[in-house]
Amino acid sequence: MSSFENLSLSQRIAALEAAEHGDMIPAEQVRELVAAVKEMFGQEGDKPNTTEKLYHELGELAKFINNAKKELHEVKGSSIAEEHLPNAANQLDAIVNMTEQATGRIMDECDRLTMFHNDLRERLIAMDPPLDPDGLAGVEDAINQAATSITHIFEACNFQDITGQRVQKVVRALQEIERQVLRMVVVFGLLENKDKLDAETAAELQEDAALLNGPQLSGQGLDQDEIDSILSKLL
Amino acid sequence: MSVDRNMRILVVDDAQTMRRIIVNLLRQLGFTNMTEADDGTTAWERLNGEHIDLIISDWNMPKMTGIELLKKVRESEKYKLTPFIMVTAEGKRENVIAAVQAGVSNYIVKPFNAATLKEKMTKVIGMF
Repeated sequence: MSSFENLSLSQRIAALEAAEHGDMIPAEQVRELVAAVKEMFGQEGDKPNTTEKLYHELGELAKFINNAKKELHEVKGSSIAEEHLPNAANQLDAIVNMTEQATGRIMDECDRLTMFHNDLRERLIAMDPPLDPDGLAGVEDAINQAATSITHIFEACNFQDITGQRVQKVVRALQEIERQVLRMVVVFGLLENKDKLDAETAAELQEDAALLNGPQLSGQGLDQDEIDSILSKLL
Repeated sequence: MSVDRNMRILVVDDAQTMRRIIVNLLRQLGFTNMTEADDGTTAWERLNGEHIDLIISDWNMPKMTGIELLKKVRESEKYKLTPFIMVTAEGKRENVIAAVQAGVSNYIVKPFNAATLKEKMTKVIGMF
């Protein structure tokens, strides 16, 4: 290792500047200096600036959310997929509706069972000749136990309301995350792509960013195709 | 004095499933005269349209929430003393305090069962 190599970059430059005109500078020292300068500028030159890096991270996040929504949409083998719901939030809404309908059917059947039990009790009491009192008491006891079980089924149906409320919270959180990420993608995208975008596309994107600025109301804001369009223009 | 099992009970919840559960459990407890509303606004109309003896209401509902309904009920001359039970998934301390400050008679956290409903009803209207 030469003594020149042990010097800092500025010391190496100073040593070369101090050389008298006509002095021969060893090729090794020049190579080392060039390598050191290249290394220093190469490291910084390869590093994207923070804004650009953040923009790409956000872009990846937006694409991930968008793809996840599409994958959810493409789930086959259930009536959810058959209904061709447009996005994940709608799918979660559909789950709430489906569990509500299923719970309703369970409760309908419980009501029917109660009706059958009451009918059975009346028929047994009205039998002629009358049933043996012990036998009748045994049947009555069984009917009461069945009624208790039906009550427990109704109690268990609480789950639908609880899960429904929690899913609604997830839906709202998903919508908000998606809106915020998309808004950032558009804002960063306009900055990063200002030289590439034509005036019309930039104006459209600015309009989209404005739409994403506030909470999305039902029937307003951007639909799936519009979101895809924004991502395709920028990413 | 025994509790009138024919007392008019208003069940308020935006979820039809929950209204059915509560009405069914009340039926199991021997009550026969229930009516329903799917939000606070409809409940308020119902309260002004007929006489209600007991209100069982959810907290989170569109248009008018359960706590807003409770405040209106307590401000009303007709219903300021009417038993009002809040049935909600909101079990946070601040929610319970807010409900108590607004004049709630009792508070049930979902999910609940018939025994809990009976216990709370007993505290509010007496043994039955």
